[in-house]
Amino acid sequence: MNLSNVWSRIKQIDRSMFASIFLHVVIIGWGLVTFVTRPLEASPVESMPVDIISADQLSKITAGIKTGQKENPKPLVEKIADAQPIDEAVGKVADKKPPVQTAASEPEPPKPVEKPVEKKPDPPKQVAEEKPKDEPKPIEKKEPPPKVDPIAEALKKDESKKPPPKPQAKAAPPPPPKPKQEYQFDQSKIAALLDKRDPTRQAATGGQLNSSASLGSARGTAATLSQSELDALRARLTKLWNLQAGTERPEELVVDIRIRLTPEKRLAGPPEIVSRGTSPRYQAAADAALRAVLQGQPFDMLQPATYEQWKDMIVTFDPRQMFRGST
Amino acid sequence: MTPADLPAVATDVSLITLFWQAHLVVKTVMLGLLACSVWVWAIAIDKIFLYGRTKRAMDRFEQAFWSGESIEDLYRALSSKPTQSMAALFVAAMREWKRSFESQTRSVAGLQMRIEKVMSVSISREVERLERRLLVLATVGSAGPFVGLFGTVWGIMSSFQSIAASKNTSLAVVAPGIAEALFATAIGLIAAIPATIFYNKFNSEVNRQAQRLEGFADEFSAILSRQIDERA
Repeated sequence: MNLSNVWSRIKQIDRSMFASIFLHVVIIGWGLVTFVTRPLEASPVESMPVDIISADQLSKITAGIKTGQKENPKPLVEKIADAQPIDEAVGKVADKKPPVQTAASEPEPPKPVEKPVEKKPDPPKQVAEEKPKDEPKPIEKKEPPPKVDPIAEALKKDESKKPPPKPQAKAAPPPPPKPKQEYQFDQSKIAALLDKRDPTRQAATGGQLNSSASLGSARGTAATLSQSELDALRARLTKLWNLQAGTERPEELVVDIRIRLTPEKRLAGPPEIVSRGTSPRYQAAADAALRAVLQGQPFDMLQPATYEQWKDMIVTFDPRQMFRGST
Repeated sequence: MTPADLPAVATDVSLITLFWQAHLVVKTVMLGLLACSVWVWAIAIDKIFLYGRTKRAMDRFEQAFWSGESIEDLYRALSSKPTQSMAALFVAAMREWKRSFESQTRSVAGLQMRIEKVMSVSISREVERLERRLLVLATVGSAGPFVGLFGTVWGIMSSFQSIAASKNTSLAVVAPGIAEALFATAIGLIAAIPATIFYNKFNSEVNRQAQRLEGFADEFSAILSRQIDERA
């Protein structure tokens, strides 16, 4: 079939052909108009399977406390108790009541202190701690009476000084991080009390005892973020970390980023890249991680109660994890 | 560095850019399919009018034929100008009839058979005229999606190559290629769906009209057969 033949056949139905062409032009023109007014807006966010941190890195980070603040002695921890509001409440009760009551009456002061302490530790882990608490209390009860008998003014002053540390010693054991400053008063006594409670127990620092995976903190104490908070944060950052696919040698692209957060769960300052890389693609990966952190805020999944733990974090972005899946 | 500084990817997906960004093969496929679509619609419009005309002509002829008017007069009126469909059938049969009776040697013996042959030939000629170019619709209807799919496969192949080249899977890299590739399939379907629908509709229309022509041929050959027997 040559061209003239085709043309003659087309001419046979020329009117229909013109009608058809007109129809197509109209439809395509309409399509041009409607399509142009609705351009696709593609957001730069791209979901990629990324895992933030591995168990090895976690232990490295928590062990890397050397660079952290050394002024505070590490507290001895019996269990991982992370209810912070409870710590504060106990501390306040202990601070306020002893001075008033030791001056007036002898046996009463310990009791009000006991009740709040026993009621508040809700987690089952602390059941074991209740026994230790009972033991120090009798000691306190015995001590005040002899001191009251002399009723010398100088002695009263001594009493008023001594009781405060003791209730604090009771309150201190459950919460690991807070009572640090108070421990400094009578460290030897506290150690003795702890020894009495559980002779077979091994003393350990918070960071090493902490069994839950954490993001590690620059403060040196273990971050006791709950696993769900952690997973949520990890998922958020993982989703936002837009790393170039198909990178070879992903171990070169491990990025550590230090994040400081406000209580409003937003960034307190620009995130810093803590790690260094030699790979030419490292800067791109680090920038992508920074973007992920910036876009991830506010970090609503974090609980205000654990602000101490997440106000300053080092998050590790590891491309190897995103191929392996989460650990 | 704030999220506002991040580059927002806006992909333009207007039809023209979709077409111009496409690979040459995909462009060819798109243009071919567009031409197919134009051709299909031209045929369809043509056929709609043709079948309408044919149906009206048949109605008019049947009305005239069964009106009691003399067959001779009708033949004289129709044979002067080119005829189509049922009238052509009638004229062909009458011409054979007249030739057989008006010639010197009356050849009535095989007349019945000859008339039937002549009418079947004109029926097949009429059906051929009605069916012409319907195969184009069938072909476009069945092959259009495959051609469009070929363009899509090619376009997606090239967009994967661009992924490999840029080592980036961001939407900005992938989206245009896939959009233009899918556009090829869209054009294929746009061409094929009307083609298939029109083909089915026209095919049944041709069958109905052929049926009507055959019915008339049988009736008319019965009438002529009675005439032959009466005259013989």
